[in-house]
Amino acid sequence: MSDNSLNIILDGNIVKGFPGETILNLAKRHGIEIPTLCNDDRLEPFTSCYVCVVEVEEMRGHQPSCSTKLTEGMKITTNSEGIRKSRKIALELMLSNHYADCIGPCKQTCPAGVDVQGYISLIDKGQYSEAIALIKETNPLPAICGRVCVRPCESECRRNLLDEGAPVGIDYLKRFAADYDLASPTKYVPAVKPSTGKKVAVIGAGPGGLSVAHFLQIEGHQADIFEAAPKSGGWLRYGIPEYRLPNDILDQEVKNITDLGVAISYNKKLGKNLSYRELKSAYDAMVLTIGSQKGTGVGCAGDDAGNVFSGIDFLKNMEITGQRYDFRGKTIAVVGGGNTAMDCCRTSIRCKADKVYVIYRRTEKEMPANPIEIHESKLEGVEYLFLTLPKKINKNEKDEVESVTCIKMELGEPDASGRRRPVPVDGSDFELRVDFIFAAIGQKTEVNFIDDINAYAGYGELKINKWGDIDADKATLQTGIPSMFAAGDGVTGPATIIEAIAQAKVASTSAHQFLMGLPIKPAKKPFTSKRDNFKKQLKEDYKGTFKSQVREEMPTLAADARFNFSEVELGYAGEAVAHHEAQRCLECGCAAFLDCDLQKYASEYNAQQKSFEGDFREYLVDFRHPYIEIDNNKCILCARCVRICREVVGANALGLINRGFHTYVAPSMGEALQDTHCESCGMCISTCPTGAISENVSFKPGPVKFNSAETICNYCSVGCAISLHHKNGFVLGVNGVNGLLNCDGNICKYPKFGYHYLNDVSRITKPMLKVNGKFEEITYDKAFKLIGEKINAVSPIENAFFAGARLMNEELYLVHKLARGAAKTNNVGSFHYMGRGEGYRNNCEMNAPIAQIADASAVYIFGTEINLDYPVVGFMVQNARYLKKIPVVIVSDKAVNAMSHKVDQLIVVKSYYHFIKAVNYYLLSHGLENALFLRDRVEGLEGYKTMLLKENFDTLVASSGASTDAIVSFADAYNKEINAILVFSEKETSSNTSKELFNLANITGKLGKTANGLIALKEKNNSQGLFDMGISPHLGIGGQEISDKEYNMRLMKKWGVAKIASEETECLSGVMKEGVIRNLFIFGEDPVGCAVDRESVDKTFSQVSFRMVQDYFLTETARVADLILPASFPIEMGGTYTNAQKVIQNFEKVMKSGPEKNSLQQISGILQEFGISTPDNSRDILMEIISLLPPEREAGKLLMRPTKGDNDKRSYEHGCDAVTKRFEEEFNIVIRKL
Amino acid sequence: MPTIVTVGLGSCGIAAGANKTYEKIKAIKESDKLDFKLKKTSCVGMCYREPLVEITDETGTYLYGEVDADRAVEVIEKHINQQDPIRNYIVYTDLFDAPENDFIGAQVKIVLRNCGYMDPESIDEYESREGYEAIKKIAADQISREVVIDTVLKSGLRGRGGGGFPTGMKWKFANANKSNDKYVICNADEGDPGAFMDRSVLEGDPHSVLEGMIIAAYAIEATGGVIYCRAEYPLAIKRLNIAIKQARDRGYLGKNIFGIEGFNLDIYIKEGAGAFVCGEETALIASIEGERGMPRKRPPFPAVSGLWKKPTNINNVETFANIPWIIIHGAEAYSKYGTEKSKGTKVFALAGKVRHSGLVEVPMGMTIRDVIFKLGGGIKNNKKFKAVQMGGPSGGCIPEFLSDTIVDYDSVNATGAIMGSGGMVVMDETTCMVDVAKFFLDFTCKESCGKCTFCRMGTKRMLEILDRITRGHGKEGDLEKLEELAYQIKDNSLCGLGQTAPNPVLTTIRYFRDEYEAHINHKKCPAKVCRPLLTYKVDEEKCTGCMVCLRNCPVKAITGERKQTHFINQEICTKCGVCFSKCKFESILLS
Repeated sequence: MSDNSLNIILDGNIVKGFPGETILNLAKRHGIEIPTLCNDDRLEPFTSCYVCVVEVEEMRGHQPSCSTKLTEGMKITTNSEGIRKSRKIALELMLSNHYADCIGPCKQTCPAGVDVQGYISLIDKGQYSEAIALIKETNPLPAICGRVCVRPCESECRRNLLDEGAPVGIDYLKRFAADYDLASPTKYVPAVKPSTGKKVAVIGAGPGGLSVAHFLQIEGHQADIFEAAPKSGGWLRYGIPEYRLPNDILDQEVKNITDLGVAISYNKKLGKNLSYRELKSAYDAMVLTIGSQKGTGVGCAGDDAGNVFSGIDFLKNMEITGQRYDFRGKTIAVVGGGNTAMDCCRTSIRCKADKVYVIYRRTEKEMPANPIEIHESKLEGVEYLFLTLPKKINKNEKDEVESVTCIKMELGEPDASGRRRPVPVDGSDFELRVDFIFAAIGQKTEVNFIDDINAYAGYGELKINKWGDIDADKATLQTGIPSMFAAGDGVTGPATIIEAIAQAKVASTSAHQFLMGLPIKPAKKPFTSKRDNFKKQLKEDYKGTFKSQVREEMPTLAADARFNFSEVELGYAGEAVAHHEAQRCLECGCAAFLDCDLQKYASEYNAQQKSFEGDFREYLVDFRHPYIEIDNNKCILCARCVRICREVVGANALGLINRGFHTYVAPSMGEALQDTHCESCGMCISTCPTGAISENVSFKPGPVKFNSAETICNYCSVGCAISLHHKNGFVLGVNGVNGLLNCDGNICKYPKFGYHYLNDVSRITKPMLKVNGKFEEITYDKAFKLIGEKINAVSPIENAFFAGARLMNEELYLVHKLARGAAKTNNVGSFHYMGRGEGYRNNCEMNAPIAQIADASAVYIFGTEINLDYPVVGFMVQNARYLKKIPVVIVSDKAVNAMSHKVDQLIVVKSYYHFIKAVNYYLLSHGLENALFLRDRVEGLEGYKTMLLKENFDTLVASSGASTDAIVSFADAYNKEINAILVFSEKETSSNTSKELFNLANITGKLGKTANGLIALKEKNNSQGLFDMGISPHLGIGGQEISDKEYNMRLMKKWGVAKIASEETECLSGVMKEGVIRNLFIFGEDPVGCAVDRESVDKTFSQVSFRMVQDYFLTETARVADLILPASFPIEMGGTYTNAQKVIQNFEKVMKSGPEKNSLQQISGILQEFGISTPDNSRDILMEIISLLPPEREAGKLLMRPTKGDNDKRSYEHGCDAVTKRFEEEFNIVIRKL
Repeated sequence: MPTIVTVGLGSCGIAAGANKTYEKIKAIKESDKLDFKLKKTSCVGMCYREPLVEITDETGTYLYGEVDADRAVEVIEKHINQQDPIRNYIVYTDLFDAPENDFIGAQVKIVLRNCGYMDPESIDEYESREGYEAIKKIAADQISREVVIDTVLKSGLRGRGGGGFPTGMKWKFANANKSNDKYVICNADEGDPGAFMDRSVLEGDPHSVLEGMIIAAYAIEATGGVIYCRAEYPLAIKRLNIAIKQARDRGYLGKNIFGIEGFNLDIYIKEGAGAFVCGEETALIASIEGERGMPRKRPPFPAVSGLWKKPTNINNVETFANIPWIIIHGAEAYSKYGTEKSKGTKVFALAGKVRHSGLVEVPMGMTIRDVIFKLGGGIKNNKKFKAVQMGGPSGGCIPEFLSDTIVDYDSVNATGAIMGSGGMVVMDETTCMVDVAKFFLDFTCKESCGKCTFCRMGTKRMLEILDRITRGHGKEGDLEKLEELAYQIKDNSLCGLGQTAPNPVLTTIRYFRDEYEAHINHKKCPAKVCRPLLTYKVDEEKCTGCMVCLRNCPVKAITGERKQTHFINQEICTKCGVCFSKCKFESILLS
């Protein structure tokens, strides 16, 4: 701690602070989290949200901690009632104008809170078992619910507004995924936590009991179910007929639960042959899930007649006896309008009844039954007597029902349930002849075991409520006996399966807490913002944004094929149907729900959306940018997007429009974002604390909980650390993380939006051989053998090996080993650098670390449009310019370029080479060089000077295209600047130009000094690795000369070979052009697709007789190959890249998918053909590389390197990488800009 | 001595038709070849008597009020041609008792010393009235920066923009921060509804502001000056531009000015686009820099990091106009006026239900009652004085019973109002205090820049509650909610706009709670202003059955036969008030 540190009292503790430090930062350092929405460490404090307020003694009002700087002796309180109140009100004021949904109405409505939008997004991606895993977090019975749930979610689905009455087929989708999962060899099995040693008795194996057992078992408790019936399922088996829910589906889902370790004992009825006393001694807790299974009668005179049953008894009897009734020639009347009535009438039809009536006292509109059931029953021939009430059942001589006297009803005033009350119409009696009557008008809970329990409870008492159901605490479902919990119909009276499951979750959570000795608290309900809090949603609110889409109907059995108990609904025909239906989801819930700070704090502070109800702003979502969408409805005006775009990116593409309540964020001048200076870097998305600016994705983002996989970006040579957010390998998005290079977590468009190739299903996964012009799969062994034969069939110099700058060091090394050790040739290199001279090799020597840009006093950008190609470095330059007002100068061959608006000076040149040479000439000829530096640190000055000064200054100036003045002022300014950093990139700069830039840095004495000198940027993530890993005809590992005998000896020894490549390759591009090569092996490059001069590349390729390509996709080069090997993504192997600053960064294997043999194993396999043994994993390969590194040498002097003239620039675009090409081309098309 | 005829051509005069008066006099003078000097001046503060024409002849000075073009003909004919002043039209003279002699006599004019007494477009006239003598004195006597600052400090001058921060102290801070570039800014973004002090000074005496800035620049070693003036003041901008050009031409702006080696200064005008918040100094700086006008957290104060992040001193127009006088006459002369902690004079803009709406400059310490009754002439139409809003939308309402409060920063603050920049909006018994609070809050809500959550959303929600109350939908708990929001907004806002926006509501609740309660609990507006709370009824005694109201009612709520008493159907009545204003027999009753 520095001497000028400040003494601060923070929440009563004396702590040290730094001058200039904010209270927020101080608190963070001391582990106190102060909520803030408008603060981002990358940005200057802004102070708008006022959520971060604290109290400071002797300061009026509350102080925003994000921008209040420490002063000596400050006394700070970060948490008090007043502070919490202010924070809460701040949040509530924001929320009162936050016209947005946190989660969709489907999930909101579902009693169990099943994440519908989440699982639909997984179904959309074909991740069915993942979808089931998500469902089973809240509902362990998806295949059952997928068939018989009453679907409150679908009634609330906003698709209804758009496609009238046709919600998303949520339940059908669930069934589809569940059936797929049940049949899958890799079906989802939840992880069971280690045993807690606790035991729970669950009474009843209905939906509630099964769910309770499931939830408790995976928490590590032993859940044993006791079931009164001979089989499991309760109502699912004994109430719901098989044509709706086949028993084998039920059995499979029960088995999934018993497979977790749940035991079920059958024919055990509490209070009968199961005593509470025994259970109590054997179990630590008990959950009553007894259901509500006692049927009620018709409730009119004569309902004691024979052949008058309760509907549930009718259904249950058949299931228990296994006997179907035979109703041939009979007339059946079902009384009631609920789903049990439907089950009864449709079952009667299946029992071949002559005629089936449903008698219901209201109209069809009031029927509680599922409309689809009503529809199907009518289709099957059921007749409805609406507005009809049985008045009396007339018996025959056998005391059996003969007929029923009914009375017609009409609808009166609405009753307590909101439905209009039916009232009898006098004199409308009529008689209906029937043989059987089933009463489906309600059930009751049977609680005859209660005395037994209370007799032995010891402490507490189990009570019955006024409706005759079990009395349990509403929030926790704990009964009067602390160790006893209850759930399902037994508590609520007859309700739905999904409600029973919802209660099971609550009861099992409470039971778990009880078992673990934790306080019993219901799960805290997180804050959720709802559009319905502002206004009723109407069709008009969705019409413009979404299109109508026809609902996929459920295929059913033909009506005449239904006189049996086969399942009527047949399930979706296939994945295409499911995908199409999933696409209908409007994604009402916010994609940012899982990482929204507003939601997080609103929950933490118990903020209410309606505390400050009033006027609100409604905005159309701006989808115009292909990657970035702006939803001002969710914006809280923290302006982080506006500020990051200005302070860090420098594009100034976003701004605040209007004032006060009417303020909103929009692209400048109201244009589409891509028509502004927007660079599509996505930094705005990275900083948005809510979902107001988010990625515009083509897939359904969910949101779903994802896995984060950290790795290193493999686009440019900066080497940013990134985090891939993926669900089971499907990448949902990419964020920057605090890496070595991007230590502030910044990233750019390449990783942010260039990840879609990772999800591409057209990837090559098997070796393929071209036979008669078509690719056919072959085995790896055959492929390796073929390669071996091809190499051996020709002389060494007729083989050539190429490896791309995208590959990991480990891959490059193996290619080098393959060429030199196996094929015995020095024809090894990379198209990436081919034909560009050897000047790039030393570009990274003595570079200024990019972090030192922040300390520069001036930055010179040479050639590169840094914001397009190396945005993260560009951000550092821009941020230094913004914060410290340092001048930024660009030397460019374009008068109008992507940097023009972000620099203080633009020098336009025709030739970079001649410009810099003229600068060097001027400095040396005027004696302006740093003589001391040159004397002590540099060699070869005299030779260089003599050669340079022989040239004509005016000619150099003329060729440069710049004026003498421009050259002189540039030279003087760069020379005199105390901390001048010059940034250039190999993309624009020829190798001789880069040599001359080095000479300039020597002449001015800036190399190797802090915040001074050069920063060279390379095109690809591992361009430097090519030089270090021997991907060059002249170089070996670590840049050792291949002609070095001693090095060769070490190679032979290490590789166990008697001979390695002996013939020198003078110039690989020359060899290629001469047509000597007969076998061409290309690893991870696309010279055909990226060629600047396609014709000449085609010609070179046509001269070759065998071409092998290893890549991810069928690139243009792969198309013309004879043999293709499937390459692995680096994240499937792990390894290292060397960035443009020679930083070697390691990353781990983070994904499992990919070809059966990964890229390393493949090359290792080929080497095996030559009897050369090689490790096949990154770690061991890296050890082998390290063992071959050159011995440590003392740092020599810097060299002046004369050049004779300019040399060629690139022959290949996009770094000769198909992945870069793919993204850059897509980007240029969708953004329609440079 | 030739006769001089001077026409007041401030914005107020022009609005009252002074241009026509001037043109008329000019035409007569030319056509009749009359021998007098015709001059222009600016506002003398007597806005309620505009257009004003002053005639100075050998006998003395006569100020004529309400001189429209016709009256101008009369005055010229009588006074100039016939040497016969028209006593009835004379509002002020030092020769005899004129109606407004007290209005001028009771004032102490330091800031307004030249306003209405000279041609603001003439640097010569300014120089003839001690103009640029202060800075010349500094140069001639080689008075050091420290001494200048000390003089200002000792004078006790406090910021007249409303903050009341000691000006000398501000200069001291700015002087203490060394930098190659420093700035002095004149805040001329006067935006309070009902305030026009700064406009009058800029229009009437622009050079005194420039001179004040030059002295400040000298004191803090500023290298650049900016006048941030709202674009809605075209005449002020025009006259400032003329003054700046004249000053440049005389070498009063430029390099090594007034012969002081190394004292380089130029001043330019930045026109503000009319955002109230840009009167807040950090927002003002942002606006000059070309950014959105939004405040930022202080510290750092502008004296440390201001315009272009350089040390900057910002004072308001009135403050600068005081400076030359203080330098010439000394700190003591200035501090002779005023109270212990508030020295000198203060200019007030009287508006609202007061007889004499206009500008007055009074020594600190005068009671509010005296300002309103002695200078303001009392309440219009003999209504009852109810309250006065001081400090504009950031200020508060001071009720009649506190009107003996003296004009002084601390005393006014104690009432819950603030001195502010000097706006005084006078209210009488026909003013509804809820409606007044709503009016001011509506202003601040619209003028909030939108940055801070509380100011942006809180003022909006408060306004909605007030609106509800005035429409008869007030609920129990509304007052508590208003107060809670008000204190939260005050505590949790970055700049003065948010920190003071709730003041009108808080002070009206404090002093007129019963009025709020009448609205909320009894759905009544005691001042009979809030229309939805009113009932219009026909006074059966007075109604003559003329059918005028019936014919004019836009919703046909009135029925009745000719010469029969009419009847207003309350179910249909929309309370538009047309019947009330149309009835010639005062037979529509309001309750």
